[in-house]
Amino acid sequence: MSGTAERMAKNQKQVAISEFFEKNKHFLGFDSLTRSLITAVKEAVDNSLDACEEARILPEIRVQITKIDDKKNIVELKSEDNGPGIPQRSIEKVFGQLLFGSRFHAIRQSRGQQGIGITGVVMYSQLTTGRKTHVRSKIATEASAAIVDIGLDTRKNKATKSNETREIWERPDGSLKEHGLEVTTRMKAKYQKGRQSVYQYLRMTSIVNPHADITFVDPEGQTHHWPRVTERLPTKVESIKPHPHGIHLGTLQRMCTESTDSRMTVFLRNNFSGMSTRAAKELLEVAEISEKAKPKSLKPEQYRALLEAFQGERTLNNKPVKLLNPPTNCLSPIEELLIKKGLSKTIDSRFVTTMTRSPTVTQGNPYQVEVGLIFGEGMLADKPVEVLRFANRVPLMYQQGGCLLTKAIESVDWRQYGLDQAGGRGVPKGPAAILVHLASTNVQFTSEAKEALADNSEVLDETRKALLEMGRGLRKHLEKKKKMAKTQEKFELVNDIIPAIAEKSAQILGRPVPELAGSITKIMSAVIAESETVWNKETKKTEVSITLFNYTSRARSYTLLASWPEREGAAMENNNTGGRKEATGVWAWKLETLDPGQTFVIKYTLSGLEKGDWTDTDVFFRGSQDVIGATKMDEKLLEEIRRQEAVRTTDEEETSVESKDVAEVLAEPEVPPPTGQQTLFGGGE
Amino acid sequence: MMSRTHTNEETKIALHEVVAEMYDKIVKGEAPTMTLPVRTKTNIAFDEKLGVYKYGKKRSTRDATSLGSAKQLLRALHVVEFIEEMIDAGKSSTLREMYYISEAWGLGKFGSQNESNNLAEDLEVVTKCLREDFKLRPEEDGARMIGNLTLRERNRRGEWMRINARDDVGDSGYGVPYNVELEKIELLEHDIKFIMAIETGGMFDRLIENGFDEDFNCGLLHLKGQPARSTRRILKRMSEEWDLPVVVFLDGDPWSFRIFASIAYGAIKTAHISEYLATPSATYLGITADDIMAYDLPNDDLSPRDVEALKAELSDPRFADPWWQEQINMMLELGKKAEQQSLAKYGLDFVTDTYLPEKLADLGLA
Repeated sequence: MSGTAERMAKNQKQVAISEFFEKNKHFLGFDSLTRSLITAVKEAVDNSLDACEEARILPEIRVQITKIDDKKNIVELKSEDNGPGIPQRSIEKVFGQLLFGSRFHAIRQSRGQQGIGITGVVMYSQLTTGRKTHVRSKIATEASAAIVDIGLDTRKNKATKSNETREIWERPDGSLKEHGLEVTTRMKAKYQKGRQSVYQYLRMTSIVNPHADITFVDPEGQTHHWPRVTERLPTKVESIKPHPHGIHLGTLQRMCTESTDSRMTVFLRNNFSGMSTRAAKELLEVAEISEKAKPKSLKPEQYRALLEAFQGERTLNNKPVKLLNPPTNCLSPIEELLIKKGLSKTIDSRFVTTMTRSPTVTQGNPYQVEVGLIFGEGMLADKPVEVLRFANRVPLMYQQGGCLLTKAIESVDWRQYGLDQAGGRGVPKGPAAILVHLASTNVQFTSEAKEALADNSEVLDETRKALLEMGRGLRKHLEKKKKMAKTQEKFELVNDIIPAIAEKSAQILGRPVPELAGSITKIMSAVIAESETVWNKETKKTEVSITLFNYTSRARSYTLLASWPEREGAAMENNNTGGRKEATGVWAWKLETLDPGQTFVIKYTLSGLEKGDWTDTDVFFRGSQDVIGATKMDEKLLEEIRRQEAVRTTDEEETSVESKDVAEVLAEPEVPPPTGQQTLFGGGE
Repeated sequence: MMSRTHTNEETKIALHEVVAEMYDKIVKGEAPTMTLPVRTKTNIAFDEKLGVYKYGKKRSTRDATSLGSAKQLLRALHVVEFIEEMIDAGKSSTLREMYYISEAWGLGKFGSQNESNNLAEDLEVVTKCLREDFKLRPEEDGARMIGNLTLRERNRRGEWMRINARDDVGDSGYGVPYNVELEKIELLEHDIKFIMAIETGGMFDRLIENGFDEDFNCGLLHLKGQPARSTRRILKRMSEEWDLPVVVFLDGDPWSFRIFASIAYGAIKTAHISEYLATPSATYLGITADDIMAYDLPNDDLSPRDVEALKAELSDPRFADPWWQEQINMMLELGKKAEQQSLAKYGLDFVTDTYLPEKLADLGLA
């Protein structure tokens, strides 16, 4: 592949490179002083993340921006990673040649897709400050790091090296750096705060790269740190061959002329995905090309005919030739749990719900949509929600209004899910942030600036579906919150207000304070369950307490049941009230009698979880009298869980077919237990 | 002249009854309650004897089964305690001061000034006492008055001052104090034929500038929108004690109709003391719905809220008589409203030279 790239780079050489850069700087991302800085950071960080991912290293990235000359808007950008480093002899290639890099023609999900990358930064720096870019690179097999200043010979499209040397790379604490890359460059640029800033770019990057540890030192010297929240690297993505539905004429032509295959059938089978022998034969038949024809010697009208056959414009018995879908294992979604963790670490809020759709295909390109929503205090209630858009784990920061992902958000009537939205259209308002991530082998942008996704009704529909499903999680959460607030009010009423009324009235009248039990029973006349799930910072465990109050005039008996993340590997500890396992993820306690005015407290601790993994416990009951704050157990659904459990144990092999989590199955009775968690843990490992 | 005030002892006893209702309910093992008349237009009825609208028999019970009402009861207890303290110490406070004092009442503190005002009214209604009995003063300032009438006001030093509301005042007129009861104000003598109550300050000042009070031998009273209790009270006293006709000159919109109703028939919120505040003999002078057409006045379209208000008035017992029904329906049909000051369309003197003389002539007052 790099052969092609280099050949293409050679073609480009005819034009003076600096002129090319100057003319195209808007789509290279260097069109304004603020954006130039973001683009530079983006190129450096994307490279680091990609390199770490390929080398299976958990990334540690540090970005520092320093103001050098405020009047002339000169800043210095220093970006350091712990990636594999670049061998000394390759440095000039990576940094000094346009369109170098293996990504350019690979059909798979990747961050950058244009190949100009870090070279653009080197060039921008040179054009605006006349300075070279300082590189320090250390690979694991060498004892010292390579140091080199890189510039560009723009006429020859070649890197120029200077001050090349080697030295030991020590960290500030004196320890030796094993491997990594550090780039220091000066450029004319402007650091700005706000929605379109380096800070926001790194913050968003950290949300969708929960495996990365990112530190940012801003020009004011303030350090921002987004820690790693998972040790799991993104799945290694496989390259796939292009699918006939997604190919362009030029590409087809080039593939043919470059092919060494002896006949068309072999060429089609070898170079395309979704292609069976039958399909190859049928395509050639409708394109009126001989199966034995040599790909190299096809005529221009034959390329066109073949493309028409690919796209179903030429038909066999009035039907387009049937093709298989491309494989979807080439995608690397972030996945629900990690989106949740990513969001939680950057935005301090109580409730997160996420949704990852199954991969699917549009125009021959596999793609997958993921959405997340974080809701709660700490965000502004009367402002539009923050929209966090991503394509292949890269934050999209500009052109929000013209982006397909924004349009999908706007197409949902969020009012039914508890957010404000004027007329049921547009970006909703409320204390929330909505994340949308599209992973695809071929992300279609509206323009070369690659900041907004182009319209595609299938992708829009898929995104909308994901948002709707996620919205239901939000609604359940808000309903539960409302219910809890009501219960809370009742408690305040009987615990605080009624006693105060009794005391004050007695005092005014000069009479003894009356007994309250009767009034309280009369006012509440209910059995109330209150549950609390809190993270204990010291013990690093999740503590759950469930309290049952009998505010009726009769003794009651119940079985209380609670959901817990058994399948997520949690262990239940210090459960002093005993009980028994009812099903996977459901624990039960039997209460023989609960006298009027009596309370019963269940307490236990969950270990093996991280902060934010389990924030809400669903409480169910069996018994005749309703319990406020708990849901009546639906026995049929419990049966269903047990049945699924049985299937799981007899068929251990089929771990890839995940059945739904307990909480999810339980989520469907007429009065569904409101919880945001079923979508979080429903998606699998 | 009736006296509505209660002695301190009477007031305390009445307040204790409210407290005892709550206490006894708790002793019986029930939720504490406070029973009070329903204060909406569905529960006001014409009192033949008094000639005003009073609360009917409908009662509502505020019980402590919800957090909101329970807090109301607790607040009422704090207010009762506060009033008793003031009675015992010989002090008084404004409603606003009470609102701030409630900061110290913990769970019983008020969420807004409105809440404290409403609660004071609740207690008035339940105990049939006046807020003057409670030693609570309103924040609202009284109106302005001008004309050849003389009264006596007891000033802060306890001395009586004789004031003629034409000769002893500036252009802004005599300022009506919040307390206009006998202990504070005595009406002495007058040389006027009627009193005109006016909604807006602009119109009040226009009539003064044009010398209307002297030309037509009348007293002018500025209502300042929805009139304060003291404004309504002094109007009633002058009308009753001096036996003077009262005409009311307002904007021509649904809200002005309500102002008139509260002056003439009693306000819904204060129907427990209607006989003390309302002037049943008052006449609505204008702007009427037919004035808008007859004088071709500049006008505005009725807003949806205006229309809603007019429709509500159609079912308000105070507007049940045929003249009002016709006026309200006419305005609805017209879809228009007009301000007093729209009369300026025909020049600054039109109101005093033409409009008012014509309207007063209809009533035999000019």
